[in-house]
Formats: sequence, structure tokens, C-alpha cells
Amino acid sequence: MSAFRKLDRREFLALTGTASAGVLLLGLDTRTAQAAGTEAVRADFQPNLFVGIDSDGTISLLVHRSEMGQGTRTACAMLMAEELHVGLDQVTIVQAIGHPRYGDQNTDGSRSIRFNYTRLRQMGAAAREMLESAAAEAWDVPVSDLVVRNGSIRHDASNRAASYGAFASAAAALPVPEDPVLKDRADFDLIRTAQPMIDMKAITTGHAVYGMDVEVEGMVYASLERSPTVGGRVASFDAAAARAVPGVTDVVELPADESGLTNHAVVVLATNTWAAMEGRRRLSVEWQAPTGDLETTESFTDALRRSTEEAPNTILDQGDIDTAFDDADQVLEARFQGPHLAHAPMEPMCLTAHVQADGCEVWAPTQEPQWARREAARVTGLEEDAVIVNVTMLGGGFGRKSKPDQIIEVVALSKQIGRPVQIAWTREDEVRHGFYRAQNYQIIRAALKDGAVTGWHHAATFPTIGSTFNPQNSAVGRGDMGQGATNLPYRIPNIRVSGGDVGSDLRIGWLRSVNHTFITFATQSAMDELAHELGRDPIEFQLEMLGAQRYIEPFGAREDNPYRFDTDRLKAVVERVRDESGWGRTLPEGHGLGFACQYSFASYVASVVHASVENGRARAHEVWTVIDPGSYVNSDTVKQQLEGSAVFALSYVLHGRITTEDGVVQQSNFHDYPLARMNESPLVNAFIMENDHPPAGVGEPGVPPFAPAFTNAVFAASGVRVRDLPIGGRRLE
Amino acid sequence: MARLRVNGELREVDVEESTPLLWVLREWLGLKGAKYACGMGLCGACTVHVDGQAIRSCVTPVSDVENKSVLTIEGLDPNGEHPLQQAWAELNVPQCGFCQTGQIMNAAALLQENPRPTEEEIEARMSGNLCRCGTYQRIKSAIQAASRAAGEVSS
Repeated sequence: MSAFRKLDRREFLALTGTASAGVLLLGLDTRTAQAAGTEAVRADFQPNLFVGIDSDGTISLLVHRSEMGQGTRTACAMLMAEELHVGLDQVTIVQAIGHPRYGDQNTDGSRSIRFNYTRLRQMGAAAREMLESAAAEAWDVPVSDLVVRNGSIRHDASNRAASYGAFASAAAALPVPEDPVLKDRADFDLIRTAQPMIDMKAITTGHAVYGMDVEVEGMVYASLERSPTVGGRVASFDAAAARAVPGVTDVVELPADESGLTNHAVVVLATNTWAAMEGRRRLSVEWQAPTGDLETTESFTDALRRSTEEAPNTILDQGDIDTAFDDADQVLEARFQGPHLAHAPMEPMCLTAHVQADGCEVWAPTQEPQWARREAARVTGLEEDAVIVNVTMLGGGFGRKSKPDQIIEVVALSKQIGRPVQIAWTREDEVRHGFYRAQNYQIIRAALKDGAVTGWHHAATFPTIGSTFNPQNSAVGRGDMGQGATNLPYRIPNIRVSGGDVGSDLRIGWLRSVNHTFITFATQSAMDELAHELGRDPIEFQLEMLGAQRYIEPFGAREDNPYRFDTDRLKAVVERVRDESGWGRTLPEGHGLGFACQYSFASYVASVVHASVENGRARAHEVWTVIDPGSYVNSDTVKQQLEGSAVFALSYVLHGRITTEDGVVQQSNFHDYPLARMNESPLVNAFIMENDHPPAGVGEPGVPPFAPAFTNAVFAASGVRVRDLPIGGRRLE
Repeated sequence: MARLRVNGELREVDVEESTPLLWVLREWLGLKGAKYACGMGLCGACTVHVDGQAIRSCVTPVSDVENKSVLTIEGLDPNGEHPLQQAWAELNVPQCGFCQTGQIMNAAALLQENPRPTEEEIEARMSGNLCRCGTYQRIKSAIQAASRAAGEVSS
């Protein structure tokens, strides 16, 4: 359904579920409902799903993407406000519920601005044109004589002015323009400026409402002891001690969902979260693990290595790779490894659901409210239209909060116990029951002849992203290696990319930047190794290997696509970061600069890291990162994302490692799954290229280049190559 | 039953005395600004002040704060305009925002004890607070800015 159409009053009321101004949802008080962003637009004039203007002057903008720190609520509001000619301080932001009428709401893949840059501007522009028409009609003057600024309309010749609210009712009677006129870039007041995030005050005063801050009247609190293995079952349990904890009201079993996305669990219900957690600690559960040998890190690593050495599946074969290796003067081989990673958003998942006979309402910090809605409908047997998924603020997501396991559990539990219920995941739950970034093993072999790279064979094994949906499907595929391996941009005549096949007994998912996190680490480390082997400056070598302008296709965007991979745009960010970082300068003993670049999520990023190695310990001191994201919205958000991306990647370079024993995750909390802290984190200098290309991703592309730029800097500083992540406690000598 | 002063108000709460202060604040007193993120005192998201000291409320039994004064983010400044809150806004510090109340409360205690901390002192103190979004450099800058602003006001 096109969102770009007029709603009648009756339909609008039906959509918002209330016939009065304001909203009260199942015991949420109005302030909480508004802070939580539960959908409630008050408007006499709502020309489309996204913009509403009330006669009292209230301007409501609806944001349909989930806010998890990437700045989407502010950016989406900026797009609409820009064309509506209002300031951000004049608008009320309303968070959309999950519904297909808004179009894609899957807040993943750095796509919010790509999908909505023009569309949301059109929403604002249509509303503004209708208000202008209404004013012109009321004053009997030509539209072209009106001046629109900051939510008011002026007619200077007759010295008349009024705010939008005065024309809301009249505008509602006008036809919606099909093709509203958008501003030229030169006239932007908001887009491409630095705007503070719209939720600043709520955050700094503690009033922002995240998943765990929701309270629904009559709800009980639940803590789940889940099977430690995927597919395991409760053999027996003793809940006597749990039931003795004051506040514990009941202990029940929750079966694993038929989808395979959740684990069999014993659930402690209580009058408060602490009692639920305490009761759970006193449970005694005997588990029955699935039969067969389950994943154990040591043997799993061996299996990945063996499969990579064989790499039976050829994914890309350009030129004649065998002849290139046969004719080579020299062959270089490097092997790279990375472990499973958990997402560890600061907010562990916390969800609330209320299932009744005729409807289901969910409050969730979810990245994918439409998937949540579909799963809630399936689990309850209700029609999708009887399910309301309210989206709270997310205390970080990074891909983990797109998965519907957490929704399925809370909805099934509410249905089973017949009450509203909140499930609070502990940190241990989050670390042990993830959809992990997959452990990986990669081998890159390069053929050198007469000082040139003539062949490149990249083999990799890791449980594919596709196994998220079908655990039987584990082989590395095109989509996996299309993230930086098959679309390698260098002028190498013979390239082969191949993959192995090893499945995991954990659930595999996507983590911020997905496979680029390890593919870029391998390719950009290998490029640095080649430059050193050939006695070349790493940046000059890469620029030469990029060569004259070309578009890179293998499995990526094609000729008619504005997002196709343009090597000149990559070269431009490489040259810019070289200049901004003072590349080539002399640093003290034990210090060095490292470089890496990557095209991902349709953006181009290059980073230089200044690192030191002292007493075998690596440290990143400073980072310079340049991004070409095409048309961007909030310049400060772009910089924030580049700053945060470096720290995010630093955690997996230094610390992140999930290991298994017999299918059971061995880590549990920040003491054994540490994240980078302030005293380890570098200063990041972020730069944005200016051009008129269509908008590309911002939330993820900053991540991939950091790890190889850092470890290449470690090599420059110490002569030690880091090919296995994380560095962890090992001394670099 | 526990008696404590929270943001200046005397509160009596009917609660098991071993219950951590965090949950008493959040679920008995409706003050949701302090967050649960690890439950082990490892990340600082639950930081509040007790008698002026920054503490980890997730590992502090409510019995430990009997008759003491608790300050939460909600009570830091009546208008939400503490120099740190202003600096946070000026420097656009938060991303997801979840850890930021704990960051601000830890920073507020730091500035109370040491109004002009050096960069090293800020790092030493603030490295106990995790931020997965990686806002550390802005947090550091905002503390320095708030410190300068407070210095200008008092001088």
C-alpha cells in the first residue's frame, strides 16, 4: 500500500486506535505513552501517514524506523521538517507501530535514509503545498505570493500571517498533490547540517523509555532459564526453592517454538524483576541436550580450517587462477581467524506483551516491528490486524534486536498465562542465547610475478548468514562473499573466491557490518602484507591497484543502479584520509600508522589508525576516517557513527570471543566478554565527502576498515602481524 | 521495609532488604533513569549517588542505604540543566542513550570531588562505565566542557 495518500478521518482514527485526542494504552499513562513513542498522532490535517497538523498548531511527524543510536528519529524528522519548512523544535515525533502500511520498517542494513530520503521529503512537501493552497484560498491571493517559514505562512502585500494550525481544517479538504516540489540542495535549512538528537532531553534526564522501562497495568515479571543448548529439553526441574523467594508467584515451563528460534525454558514469574531473577537462580533444572557431538570451539576451529583448505565451492572464478599460481615468481599466503561474537547492546532485551482473546499488544525495543507482528500473529493465532507492536527506544541493537525469538517468547508466555508479562533478559541470557556473528577461517593466497599481483584466491569458511533462517543451510554462499570478497576492487587479472561448509550448533545472525567485519579484515590485511612484500607504500600501492575508474559488479549493484561500486569514489576517500592523517610522517619508536578501506552498504570509507605497541600491548591512539555516503542528512550523526564504529570494532579486535563446549556458550557477562572502555579508545577524527550521489549507509560502513587499519598499524609499529582476532591477552612479540 | 531519602524526599518502601537499590528505584519508586545492563557492577549503567558518592545500584542492597540520601538522574537538576546535562546536549554525546544516565551520574560525582579533572583523571574514573555505541570521546569532551563552565560560573 502506498503510504503517500490521503487518509479519511475515520480511517485515521482506526489506525491510531483512539477516538479522542491523546491516548491511553493499557494502563500506560499519557506521558509514558508519549515518551515511549506509542503511536498517537493528533491532527485535523493528515495528508499522509507521516505528517499531521492539528488546528491547535501541533505538528506531528511519524517516524517508522527504530532508534537504536544511529540517529534515525532525528534524521527522519529532519527530512520531513525540511520540506515542511519547520524547525525541529516545532515538531512532536511519534514512533510508528509495526505495520506494512509504512513500507519497510526493518531497521537493519544501514537503509533508513536510502529508502526514505526522497519519500519522507515528499511527505513534508505535500503537506506544505496543501497548507499553502488553503492559505491562498482563504486570503484570495496567488500561492506564489506567499512566504512560508518556520511553520507559518505570510502574505507580505496584505500584511497577513498565520501559523499552519489556522489552515489545518481547510487543507484537509484539498486534494493531495501527486508530485510536490522539493527544495534544491542550496536551499536546505536542516539537511546536511549538524542537528542535536531529538531525544536529547529525554535521555539526559532519564525519561527516555526503553524496552525495560515499559510498565503495563497488571503485568507480571518473568525471568527465563533457557536450555543451554539449542534444541535441548527440560528433563526435570525442582522449583521449590524458587517458589520460596518472596515475590515469586509461579514457575511454569515454556516450550520451544516450532520455528526453532527459541529454546525450551523454565519460567519464574514474580511481582518484580529482582524476585523473578532471584527465583530463577534457585531453580534446579536437569537438561537433556540434543544427541550427537555438539560444537566445541577447538574441534570447530579445526573443522573450519580443514574446510577452508579444501574450499570445495567456487563462488567466483575470473581469469585463470591456476595458471597464475603456476607461473608465479612468488606465492604469499596468509590465514585469518575470528571467533563467534555476541552483540552485547547495553540494554539486554526486555519485552512486554499482553495477549487477550481478541487482540495482542507488544511493547518491544525491536529493529523489525513487522516481523514481530507477523510472529505474534502466528503464535497467538490472531489476525495480524489484531496485533499492535509498539516500538520503544532501543538501548543498542546491532542486529540482535531484529530477531523475533524474543517476541515469540513473550507473546507465547502471555498467551499461556493469560496476563500481561514482561521478560527481562539478563546480561548472561543475552551473551549465551545470541544469534552470533559467525566464527570464521580465511586463507588468502596471492600470486606475484614481475612485481605485480597476478592472482588472488580467497577461501573462507563460516556458517552462512543464511543459516539464521535454515540451520541446515550452512555453506558459504554468494551473498556471504559478496560482502567484500567477490567485489574486490583491485586490478588483479585472475581471481577466485571459494567457500567451505561447516554448520554451527549455535544460532547465527548478523552483527553490525555483517561479514565485512571479517572479510575486510582479511582482504585489507592481505593488501598491506602485499605492499610490504613488494616494498611499496600501502596507500600508494592500493591507489595503483585501484587504477583507472571502473565499476565493480560481482554480485553487487549493476549498471543501471546508482549504488554501483565506483572505484573512483573509493580512491577519493583513500586520498583524503592520506592527507588528513598526515600519512608518511615519522613517528616515535614503537608507533606506527596503518591503513584500510572498504566499500560497504553503498558507502566508501577509508581509515588510518595511529597505534603503538609497548611491552607487547597494542593501543590505538588516534583514527582518521573519511566516508563518502553520498547525500547525507545529519552531519553530526555521520561523525558520531564513525566515532562509534571505531570503538565497536576495537571491542572485537581486542576482546570479543564467544567459545563453546558441547554446544554451550562459555561466556556470560562483561568480565569474560569484555567491551572496549574509555581508557582503551582512540580519538576519532571524522570527515565527510560532499557530493550529490544518492544517500547510502552510515551506521555500519565505518566499522570494517578499523580492524585491519589498526592491526596494519600494529605491524608498522612493531613488525608483528595480527591475523587472529581478538588479540585478547596475548603479548605481541 | 526500607527508609531512604530519594532526590530529597523521604520514602518508605515495603521490600525485601536484600533487594538491590536499582530495582527499588525502578520498580517501587518509578525512577527508571538508572538502568540494568550487567547486574554485577561491571558497566556503570545503574550508577546513582548515595550520600554524594557514585555507587553501582545493581549490587547495592537497599538495606545498605537505609536512612541515606540517594540522588538519581531524575533529581540531578530540577530542570535537567546541570552543567553536565547541558554539555551533553551541546556536544551531542548520546547515541542510543541507554548508558548515558549512568555516565552523567558518575561524571557528576567526579566533578563534585574534583572540579577540574585532568584527561587522565577523567579516563581513570569514567573507564568503569561501558558504552557499546562508543561515545567515549564525546563524554570526555563534555566533562571537560562542564568543568570549564562550572569554573567560569564560580570564578
